[in-house]
Amino acid sequence: MRMHLKIILPGLLCLAALSGCASKTPVVVRSQALPAAAPVPAAPKPVEITINGVDGFQDTPLQPDGKWHVHDPARPQPPIVTPGTFSDQATPPSDAIVLFNGKDLSQWRDKATGGPVGWRVVDGVAVSAKGDIQTTNQFGDLQLHVEFREPTPPRGGGQGRGNSGVFLMGRYEIQVLDCYSNLTYADGATAGIYGQHPPLANACRPPGEWQTYDLIFNVPHFDAAGKLLTPAYVTVIHNGVVAQNHQAIRGATNWRVPGKYTPTGPTGPIALQYHNNPVAFRNIWVRPMPVNNEP
Amino acid sequence: MKKYYTLLLLVGLALRPSVVAAQGVAAPLEIIDGYTNTPMEPAGKWHVHDPGRPQPEVITPGATFSQGAPAPSDAEVLFDGTGLAKWQSANGGPAAWHTNGDYVETAPRGGGIRTHGKWADFQLHVEWASPNPPRGTSQGRGNSGILINDMYEVQVLDSYQAKTYPDGQAAAIYGQSPPLVNASKPPGEWQTYDIIFESPRWNEDKKLIKQAVITVLHNGVVVQNHYELQGGTDGINGDVPYKTATKYARPHPPEVFIELQDHTNPVRFRNIWIRSLHLGSNL
Repeated sequence: MRMHLKIILPGLLCLAALSGCASKTPVVVRSQALPAAAPVPAAPKPVEITINGVDGFQDTPLQPDGKWHVHDPARPQPPIVTPGTFSDQATPPSDAIVLFNGKDLSQWRDKATGGPVGWRVVDGVAVSAKGDIQTTNQFGDLQLHVEFREPTPPRGGGQGRGNSGVFLMGRYEIQVLDCYSNLTYADGATAGIYGQHPPLANACRPPGEWQTYDLIFNVPHFDAAGKLLTPAYVTVIHNGVVAQNHQAIRGATNWRVPGKYTPTGPTGPIALQYHNNPVAFRNIWVRPMPVNNEP
Repeated sequence: MKKYYTLLLLVGLALRPSVVAAQGVAAPLEIIDGYTNTPMEPAGKWHVHDPGRPQPEVITPGATFSQGAPAPSDAEVLFDGTGLAKWQSANGGPAAWHTNGDYVETAPRGGGIRTHGKWADFQLHVEWASPNPPRGTSQGRGNSGILINDMYEVQVLDSYQAKTYPDGQAAAIYGQSPPLVNASKPPGEWQTYDIIFESPRWNEDKKLIKQAVITVLHNGVVVQNHYELQGGTDGINGDVPYKTATKYARPHPPEVFIELQDHTNPVRFRNIWIRSLHLGSNL
C-alpha cells in the first residue's frame, strides 16, 4: 500500500498519514497536515513488529473473525505452490476490451490528475512510475487478465519488494508484490485482498519472470439509502493457481484499516498502482461479464 | 440424450428483425432439439432442456489460454499420456479407453472412466477435443461430460456452429445453467476447462446445508461464475429420473470422484490435473 512502513510520522501526523494512504505521495500529505495542528487527539504511533521474520502490525484493528489483526505478522503464511505456465500471453477473446497490448497507454489516465500517465512503455512493456493509473472506461462485473513482472534483481523486503496492485473499481486492491522468497504479512501477500484475505496459496514466480492474474469480479450492490445489499466478490487465479475463490470483499482496501464500504455506482475504473517500485505490466484485457442467460 | 422431438423456431426472425427487414427475405427456419414437456427450471421461465431458451452469445476465444498448462506443484496429475493408472471403469474394472500419444479417447459404449481418487473442494484442469470431421447434430455431436461424482455434469459437446438446447451445450451445467457465452473452438482443436468446484454439504440429519458451487472457464472465458447447482444433473442416475427437475436427493461425503462420460461419441482428453482447495483458510 501507499505508505512505506519506515517513514511513518508519530503523533498528530499519523492521522493525516492514514488519510494519505488514498492520496498520492507521503511528502505531500505531510506538508498538507502541518497547518492543521489543531487540538486533535494524538493517534498512537504505529508500531511495526517482527514475528518469525515477518514484519507487520498488531496494533491494528482485529479482522471480523476476531483472530488476526490487520497486517498481522503472526497470521499463517499461505502455502507455497510452484506454478506451471498457465495463461501467459493469452490472446484476448473476441468480446474483450484490450487495455494494453504493448503499444501505448491510451486507455489509461493518471489516477490523481486525470491527465497523461507517468508510466512509460518500453519494449512493449508498461512500467509503473510516478503515480497510479486508471482506465478511462468504467466497468461493472468483469473478467480481467493481467500479466506482471517483478524487478530483478529484487530490491527491498516485505512490502517494499516489487509492490504494486490491481484496484478493481479503483478501490478494491488485489495485491501485486514479489513474494518469491520474500516474507510479508499474509493479508498483504501477492494475490491477497489487501488487508483482508491472504491468498489461498503463494504461487509466485521468481522476479524477472512474467506472472498472470486471471480475475473474476462482481461489483457490490447498495440500496437507495446506501446500505450494502451484496458485497463485491473476486476470484483470483495466480499463475493458474486459485488464490481467491469468489471471496467476499469487506470494502475498500487500505493500509492498517479493515475494509469499509462506501456506496458507489454500479461501475468503476480499473487502476494499477505505483508504489515506488518499478513493476512491469503487459497483455491486459477485460471482458465485461455477460448477464446470466435468463436463468 | 436419448430421444427428442423437435421444435421449429423462428430464431432468426426473433433475434434479428432489423436484418430480416432490411434484406426483405424470410428468416430461415431453424430446428433446435429440446423439450417443452419437462418440468420448469426453478426461476419458472424455461423448461429443462428448453429449445426456446436464448442461445448464449457466440464469441471467439483467444487462440491460447491454458492449453498444455503444466500442473502446479501441489496438483495430482490424473492423465499426462502415460497411462490410465489413476482411472477405473465406471463399474470398477480397468479403464478401457484408448491412449494414443498424449491423449486418451473414449471407447464408445465402453462406459465412462472415473478416478480412483476423491477430492472435496478442488481446481480441475481438463483439455478435450471433439471429433473431426464432426458427425451428428445437437446432443449427438461429440457428446461427453465431466461428471463430478457421477452426479454433477459439466457438459462436453461440439457446440461450434452447432446448436442444441442451451442448458445442454458445451460448458453448460447440464440441464440447469447454460454457459454465459459460447466459447467453443472448432472440432479437432484442443479446448480447455478450468473448473473450481465446491462440494455440497449435508448435516448429520442429512439436511442440505451447502449447495454444490462451480466456476468454469472454457478456453479462458468465464462461462459459469460461482453457479450454485440446483442438485444433481438429470438423466444420469437411476434415482434421478431423466428429464426431471433436479435436486439433492442423495447425500454423499464431500469427497467426490471425477468421471469422464462415454456418450457413444469418440471424444479425446488430455492433460488432466486436479488440486485440492482449502477454502476458508484465508478468511
